[in-house]
Amino acid sequence: MDANLILMLYVMPLLFGTVLLTPFGSALGDALSSKWPKLEIPRRQRLLGLNVVLLVGFAISVHTLWISNKISEGGSVCSSATVFSCDDVLGNVAYNTDPVFGLSWGMIGMVAFGILMFLANSMSKEPDALWAERYSKYGMYLTLLGLPVIGLLISYEVAMGKICQYCTTAHVANVIALFGFWTITRMHEHGNWNDDTTSEASA
Amino acid sequence: MKYDEEADIRTDTAIKIMALFFASIMFLAFTTDPIASGTKEGQRAPALEGLSYNGTGWTEFSMDDWLVDNWTAGDTTGEWLVVEFIDTDCGFCWDAGSETGQAADYFSKTGAEKWDGPVVNFVANVGELNIPGHESSRDEIIAFRDKSGEETCAKGDCTNRPGNPHSFTYIDDLDLDNMDEWKVPGTPAYYLIQPDGIVAWVSSENPREKVGDAIIRIVGGEQ
Repeated sequence: MDANLILMLYVMPLLFGTVLLTPFGSALGDALSSKWPKLEIPRRQRLLGLNVVLLVGFAISVHTLWISNKISEGGSVCSSATVFSCDDVLGNVAYNTDPVFGLSWGMIGMVAFGILMFLANSMSKEPDALWAERYSKYGMYLTLLGLPVIGLLISYEVAMGKICQYCTTAHVANVIALFGFWTITRMHEHGNWNDDTTSEASA
Repeated sequence: MKYDEEADIRTDTAIKIMALFFASIMFLAFTTDPIASGTKEGQRAPALEGLSYNGTGWTEFSMDDWLVDNWTAGDTTGEWLVVEFIDTDCGFCWDAGSETGQAADYFSKTGAEKWDGPVVNFVANVGELNIPGHESSRDEIIAFRDKSGEETCAKGDCTNRPGNPHSFTYIDDLDLDNMDEWKVPGTPAYYLIQPDGIVAWVSSENPREKVGDAIIRIVGGEQ
């Protein structure tokens, strides 16, 4: 199957999660609330959106690690005919591991998104817990920490003159997750972190 | 109302996330067989790049251009590669000049006498070791390879190097980028690379075996 077609399997749920994190998510949540009543509540919409985005980030990290491993075996996953070539980026031994520990970037993504998923899942299960607000801040700081790493990886891609579309999607997931954690933190700060429905909140 | 009696929720979540993590690791372990990058036997050789001299002029060299990704063992059409790390001011490299030249001509089938196995190409990566008296230059690389010019190599005038002028490619690695990347312990050092880029034999791991013997043993063909 074409690598870019497979990428769409990640992009679609990523878009779905992103919409739920934005004000447009209310309309989507309302539409889905007939089947899942809790999605009428704004914070439930945000938490679902955040969990979906993080799950996509985790899955795509696993996929990039899989691609790295396959390339090391001598396999080929992405065509290198265009500027979009995960093979050329993930197969470049000079750049495909972190400069400190030598760990594959895919593995680092798995660990990072795993921790973020733990924070978001815990919040989802107990949104009224005392630690929930703290966890949203931890998530925000962790995703903020990801920005310089993303900058470094983009500089590698610039140096190579190639773009790894899978890596870029993982980077985008991190940025969207940062927005999600920030949104949740703001809801806590503004006293909107409750189970009021969209209509109740506006009233 | 906020409360703080749900430590079990976090434990439960942590267990589920860890289960997902390890399931992913298991998936990777069962579906892939990654080969580490390095210069030990069985590892994937790192990049070998630089300006190279092939007897006519200096052009860009990349070992990737010489490799075949989908090569399988037993495929005799794939061309193997011997990478020789030398310093033109190294006495041992000077002494090995004749033997290496003969082996290159024989195994790469460019000489009068040809072997019947797969083509084994040779390239020499020339570094400038950080030792007093080992100052080198591109002119010296050309002089060592072609036995020409007025440069001074390890044991005197480069034109007096043992053996004939070499026919294989010489790479300028005077800044030692490739040597550092390949973690070359000393010169001369030889690496036999499979057509798919996997290191098949390393001279430092087999000090009693000559590169020609290693090629015959590993690559096959008649003596």
